[in-house]
Amino acid sequence: MSTTAAQQLLVGASTDFLRHFSPFDRMEPTALGYLAQHAVLGFHPRGSEILTPEMGPARHFYIIQRGKVQARQTGAAVVTEYASLTMGPGECFPIGAISAQRPSTNAYVAVDDSFCFQITADEFLHLMQISPVFHLFCTQYIASLLNQSRQQMQTTFAQRAAEQQTMTTPLGQLLKREPVSVSPDTRTRAALEKMNELHIGCMVVTDAEQRPLGILTQSDLLPRVVLAGFDLERPIGEVMTANPHQLPVTASAYDAALEMATHGVRHLLVVDSRSRLKGVISERDLFSLQRISLRQIRAGIENATDVDALQHASRDIRQLALNLIAQGIGAEQLTQFISALNDALTRRIIELALDRHDLLGVDFGWFAFGSEGRHEQTLSTDQDNGIIWRCPELQDVDAVRKRLVAFGREVNQNLAACGFPLCKGNIMASNPDLCLTLDEWKERFGDWIREPDPQALLNASIFFDFRVLYGNERLGDQLRAWLNKLSRTSTNFLRMMAANALQVPPPLGRIRDFVVEDDGTIDLKKCGARLFVDAARIIALRTGVDSSSTVQRLRQASGKMGVSADEVSAIIDGFHFIQLLRLRSQHLETEHDAAGDNRIDPDTLNELDRRILKEAFRQARKLQLRLKLDYQL
Amino acid sequence: MNWISRIIGGRGDSEALDPGVAEILAHWQSLPDADLGRAHFETRYVVLNTEATGLDLDSDRLLAVGALAIDAGLISPGDSYYATLEDAPSLALSRLLAFARKDPVVVFNSAFNLGMLEPVLDQRLGVSLDVQPIDLYFLLPALFPERRGSPARLADWMDSFAIETFQRHHALGDGWAIAQLFLAAQSRALAQGAGSPRALQELERAYRQYRRKA
Repeated sequence: MSTTAAQQLLVGASTDFLRHFSPFDRMEPTALGYLAQHAVLGFHPRGSEILTPEMGPARHFYIIQRGKVQARQTGAAVVTEYASLTMGPGECFPIGAISAQRPSTNAYVAVDDSFCFQITADEFLHLMQISPVFHLFCTQYIASLLNQSRQQMQTTFAQRAAEQQTMTTPLGQLLKREPVSVSPDTRTRAALEKMNELHIGCMVVTDAEQRPLGILTQSDLLPRVVLAGFDLERPIGEVMTANPHQLPVTASAYDAALEMATHGVRHLLVVDSRSRLKGVISERDLFSLQRISLRQIRAGIENATDVDALQHASRDIRQLALNLIAQGIGAEQLTQFISALNDALTRRIIELALDRHDLLGVDFGWFAFGSEGRHEQTLSTDQDNGIIWRCPELQDVDAVRKRLVAFGREVNQNLAACGFPLCKGNIMASNPDLCLTLDEWKERFGDWIREPDPQALLNASIFFDFRVLYGNERLGDQLRAWLNKLSRTSTNFLRMMAANALQVPPPLGRIRDFVVEDDGTIDLKKCGARLFVDAARIIALRTGVDSSSTVQRLRQASGKMGVSADEVSAIIDGFHFIQLLRLRSQHLETEHDAAGDNRIDPDTLNELDRRILKEAFRQARKLQLRLKLDYQL
Repeated sequence: MNWISRIIGGRGDSEALDPGVAEILAHWQSLPDADLGRAHFETRYVVLNTEATGLDLDSDRLLAVGALAIDAGLISPGDSYYATLEDAPSLALSRLLAFARKDPVVVFNSAFNLGMLEPVLDQRLGVSLDVQPIDLYFLLPALFPERRGSPARLADWMDSFAIETFQRHHALGDGWAIAQLFLAAQSRALAQGAGSPRALQELERAYRQYRRKA
């Protein structure tokens, strides 16, 4: 009785508000009533993000009640004609994203303290159904967006053409190391020893002013030194090629390629405006520049027609990663590159397998778990995957599962052929236990949450980081929404997860900087990255963040947890630094899961890296402390 | 009801014997206390507001009560309560309690609102809310010193945030404005590290003490 009275008053007030704005002023009374009844009011302080692409498929539709919200373009691909747009009371967002149930392309940020009404995606879709006026409004809006994006496509093509001119890169930007040189009176033996020690293909001879006088390359050694019986005690000046080919630092890669082709040389010296040596460019440097670009690897993957071609692409990915590490690219971008390319590779393998397996009519999604699910793959990651599916009507569940498992087995084997080793723990789609329907996954996850024994907690730490890599993403979204809802009310489960996450403290010592293991190393995965990953997972489950990536989880939960932007950035920086160290130590390893993987001897780090590492561990400790307080552990 | 019937009638009031009321009341009393240490986004707060014949606690009478829930940082029109005390005051009051559960209570000016409400609860139902309310009268100047340096009237805070409502001096109308002010307060408090009902109570208490010394 009295609750109804109150509702009538408040719904009436919301209705009056909405009537001031288009399209709500024209909306059918029942539809407007429905909207006013379901709209809940929230507050967004100035500077806070209301909706970003990283938050995943849009879950709410917002109508600004008071304040100002800015829509900002994010990412490289511009979809709309504006870079940013400020919206005020009565205006609403996101229309395209919520209609299509996909992530928003814009970031919506409150530029003033703002109040917004919000309804859920389901309520939005229902409103479209019951209100022709609202339906028309949304359709027209989306149509105008499509038009804008078509124009945008042309601009993007132009941009792509510009990007392909990597051969116009100035040589100065391609030099990777400080130049190595000797004087002409150096004993040849000493010069050769230096080449061997530094693994370089040629030795440059310069005068006291660092101006090049000559060059001796590996290919000169056989005819001029070995076969000619040249006395290694004699000076290098007598055996070098005098007047070597030179180019200024401002010359382009293309100039260099031309020069090499014209003169048939493999090395060119790069000099500054005063003719001093700045470095050496080899044919290989130019070759890798031409061959391995992100776009070309992608094209290679997308056009591959068999597993052989994909194996090439997989080697290219590894090579690109090594080049990028050498160029000092940050861990965040690097893991994103690796993750994006590995995703593309996996998708192509799945597509090729789909040609050979009849799965017509089966609604399924290919799951990536663990680090792949979190977009945090390093170079040595084995497979962790599964399948989620929905059984078509009138079909036998076990028969469909058999078909999916057979398909999964082929994908697993082809992934292994492309450098993703089979999972030792059999966490793979070919395992019938991990080829489950949506309801079966819910049942599985529900069991772990209700009875969190050690095995269940371990499973949760792998499987709860799922992500649909191929196929119907909505299946994954539904599972995620269900999981978040269940786990946020399961305080006991979260508490056990937290206790589990706290078992490994960051390796910070009281007296020494670091606590190391017997062999003097620190395991950066077990005692570093995992501390962040585990804490972020618990926080995400508690706050209902949809993302599976550690950084996004921390960033998106921070608003609800009342952690300042600076504090979160510091934590994230710490995580990235540890990931970077892991990648650096891995790129020296050629084999997967080699003993040295993820291990680092802190004594081999320079002073700066040591200090940053220490700070990174301190951030991990801060995160753990937060868990301790939250769950009184 | 005058003071004589208050004394004579006491709790023996025939209305309080209504089995429906008794049942609601018993259920409310059996509820466990809210966990004041939980985070805002896991907490349901209840804004309580009253409407009286005037502002004098001794001579004026309580006319109506309004309440709105703020659950996980959102105000939902569906989760609200309003009742006048004209016809069946005991029922109206017991339903108010049922709505509020034992959740943390938010008021604007607790001296007046609870000063009005508590005696009536005691007299009609023989119960007390017995809570430490989060009083926006003190919490707002503590959190937004750049807007108002000292406690101010509700109208001033509404002006400051450009908050409007459908009806002023109405238990639910003002409650709607208070709830919106509370959303802003909650967000600012969180940014300052006060992330739970208990932290809000402590902030408010500290501000009162500081006012007393100043």
